[in-house]
Amino acid sequence: MGSGLYKRILLASHGTKGAIAAEDKTLQICSNSGTIDHLIVVPEFWQDITGDDWLNNGVTRDQFRDYLQTELGREVDQQCTRLNQKVTAYAFGYRSIILFGKPDKALIQCAETNAYDLVVLGSPRPQHLSGLTGLHSTMLTNKTWHKLQTDLLIVPYPQ
Amino acid sequence: MIYTQNSPALLTIGLSMLGIWYTSDTGLLNPVFEYLSRSTSYPYMDELKTLPFYFGLIAAITGCWHWLGTHRQGHFDYYSSTIAGGMMILFITMLIRWFIAPYVEFIGTDLGKIGNTGKYIHELLGLNYVVLGIVTGIIVVNVFKIPEWAKNGIRLSRLGLKTGVILLGALYSAAELKNLGGLSIIMIGFFVLGSVGIVLWIGSRRNIPNSMGGVLSAGMGVCGVSATVAVAPVVQAKPVEIAYTIGTILLWGVGCMFIFPIIGHLLGMSYVQFGAWAGTGILNSAQVAGAALAFQPDGIETLMVAEIFNITRVLILPVIVLWLAVWYVKKEGTATTEVNIGRVVVTKFPVFVLGFILMFALSTTGIFAPSNHYKGKYFGNTPEQGFKQENLLNNAQTGLLNAEIHRIDRTSHRTALERLIENGKIMSIDDDNAVRSIINAKTLSAEAIAILKAAHEAVRHSSKKIAAFRDWITWLFAFGLVGLGMQITVSSMKQAGGEPAIIGGIVGFFKATLSLVVVVLFIGETV
Repeated sequence: MGSGLYKRILLASHGTKGAIAAEDKTLQICSNSGTIDHLIVVPEFWQDITGDDWLNNGVTRDQFRDYLQTELGREVDQQCTRLNQKVTAYAFGYRSIILFGKPDKALIQCAETNAYDLVVLGSPRPQHLSGLTGLHSTMLTNKTWHKLQTDLLIVPYPQ
Repeated sequence: MIYTQNSPALLTIGLSMLGIWYTSDTGLLNPVFEYLSRSTSYPYMDELKTLPFYFGLIAAITGCWHWLGTHRQGHFDYYSSTIAGGMMILFITMLIRWFIAPYVEFIGTDLGKIGNTGKYIHELLGLNYVVLGIVTGIIVVNVFKIPEWAKNGIRLSRLGLKTGVILLGALYSAAELKNLGGLSIIMIGFFVLGSVGIVLWIGSRRNIPNSMGGVLSAGMGVCGVSATVAVAPVVQAKPVEIAYTIGTILLWGVGCMFIFPIIGHLLGMSYVQFGAWAGTGILNSAQVAGAALAFQPDGIETLMVAEIFNITRVLILPVIVLWLAVWYVKKEGTATTEVNIGRVVVTKFPVFVLGFILMFALSTTGIFAPSNHYKGKYFGNTPEQGFKQENLLNNAQTGLLNAEIHRIDRTSHRTALERLIENGKIMSIDDDNAVRSIINAKTLSAEAIAILKAAHEAVRHSSKKIAAFRDWITWLFAFGLVGLGMQITVSSMKQAGGEPAIIGGIVGFFKATLSLVVVVLFIGETV
C-alpha cells in the first residue's frame, strides 16, 4: 500500500508504455488514503482529421465522424476502467478527468483548477522506436515548463 | 447552437473588396499594375472590374446583417453563417491571384532563368496563385488559426471543388472523354489495384493488424484521405491507425504537390502526360488538382486530364471499399459483420460525378456550344453559327488564290481551295483542316496565306459560354484549394509515423516512379 508523500496526484495517462510506467510510479509514491486524478486529453487535431478530403459525400463523412467518436470514447472508457481497477486495488481514490484540446494546455488548466501535490507524466516514446504505441501529441512542451505551478515528475521511458 | 457570429469581419472583407474594385476602376491602382506587369498589359483587369464589385457588395450587405442582426438557431442560420468563411477564402484568393502571385513572378523574373532549364524560378517551382493559395491556407490554419466567425464557411471549399468538376464536364469532347476515360481506367486500375495489393502483402509480411492494412491500402492505393475516411469504419481501424495513415498521406501529398510540377517541367512533359502522371502518382486527390494547376496555371488542359483520373479514382472507391470489407471479414473471421453491398455502393457513390456526366451530356446537345466544339472552339460557316457575311472573300482575293492554286500538289487540298474560291468561304471542317495544312506548308505567297488565315478565322468561333465556364472553373478550383489548404493542419501531418510511414513511403515512391515511367514511355502529347 501507499507510503509516499503525495496525497493528491494528477496522473496523465492514455495507456502508452511510457504512461504505464508513470502509473506504476504514481502508485508507489501516493500516500495512504491519497487520491489519483486520471487525466485523459483527446487531442484537438482529431477535429480536423478528415483533412482535405473533398471527394466523399456528407453521409460518408458523417459515418466516419460517428465511428471515430465512438472509437475514441471506447478507448477512453477502456483506459479509465483499467486504471480505476489498478488504483482501487491499492485502496487509493480514483477520479477520471477527460478533456478535449491541446494536451499541454489541458494539463495546465487542470492543474490550475485543482490543488495537486504532484503532477506525474510518462516520458515520450524515444524517436528510434517505431510501432503504434501512441499519438504524436505531447504534454511536455515549453508551455508546460513555464506555466505549471505544481511539482512535476516525469517518469523515464521503460527499457 | 447559433453559428452566425456578431462580428464586423465579413463587412470589413466586403468593404475591402469594394475598395479594390474602386481603386482599380478609377485607375488609382494603375501604377501598381504597371509595376507588377512591367508596363505590359496587366492580365486581370477584366476580373478586377467585376468580381470585387459584385462579391464585395454581397459581403458588405451580408456583413452588416451578420454584425448587427439578431440570429436564431436553425437551418437558415447554419447555411447563412457559411458566407463569412466563404468570403474570407475568396478574398485571400483574390489578393493572391491579383497581387501576390504577380509580385512573386516579378521577383522570379528579376532573378533570371535557372541554369539551362530555360525557366524562371517561379515557373520551375510552380509558384503561381494556386500553390501560393494552398500554402497561404496552410499558414492561416496553423499559425493564425481560423477565426470563429469563419469556421463554418471553410467547408464551402468542397462545394467549390465539386462544382468545378461538374462544370468541367461541359468542356470535354466525346472523343476526349472516351480516350481519357479509357486511359485512366487502365492506369488507375493497374496502379490502384497494384498499390492496394502490395500494401496488403507488405502488411502481412510485417505483421501489422488487418485493420491497419485495410485502411492503409485504401489510403495509399485509391485517393488518399478520402479513401481512408471511407474505409476506416468498414475495416474497424483504430484511431491511432487512422491518425498515422492520414498524417502520412497528407505529408506525402503536400510534398508531391511541390515536387511533381518541378519534375514535369524539367522533363518537358505535355499537359496530357503530366495530368496522367499527377492523377495516378499523387496519393491524395486534393493535391492532384493542386499539382495540375501548379504545372499549368494559365490554362486548364492539365486539370482536365488530371480530373478524369480523379473521377476514375472516386468511382473505383466503392469497389475498393467492398473488396476491403470482404477481405477484412474473411481475415478476422467475424461472422457478425455482414457486408451490405447495396448500402456500400449507395453511400459511397460520388453524387457530384452525376453532375459532371449531366454537364457533358448537355454539352453534346449543343446547348453551350455546337456539339462539334473542341476546347470551346467550333466550326461554323452560316450566319446562325456566327459567320459574318463581310468575311466572304472578295473577287480580288479569290483571284489571287486562283492564280496560285497550281502550286498545290495534293488533290484534296486543291479541291478544298477550289471550293473556297467558288463559295468565298470555307465549306466544311475537312476543308478547314486542308486550308490549315496549306497555311502551314507555306507554298503560297505571304498575301495568299494571309487571305487563307482570314478565311480560317472567319469560320472558327469561340463559345462565350465555354469561355465563361473556363474562367469559373479556374476560380472555383483556386477557391476550393485555398479552402482545403485551411484544413491541412501540421498537428495532423505530425502523426505520420510508424508502419504507415514505412509502408506508405515505399508504396508512394514506387507508385510515383513507375507511373512516371509508364507515362513517359507510353503516353504522347495528345490523346
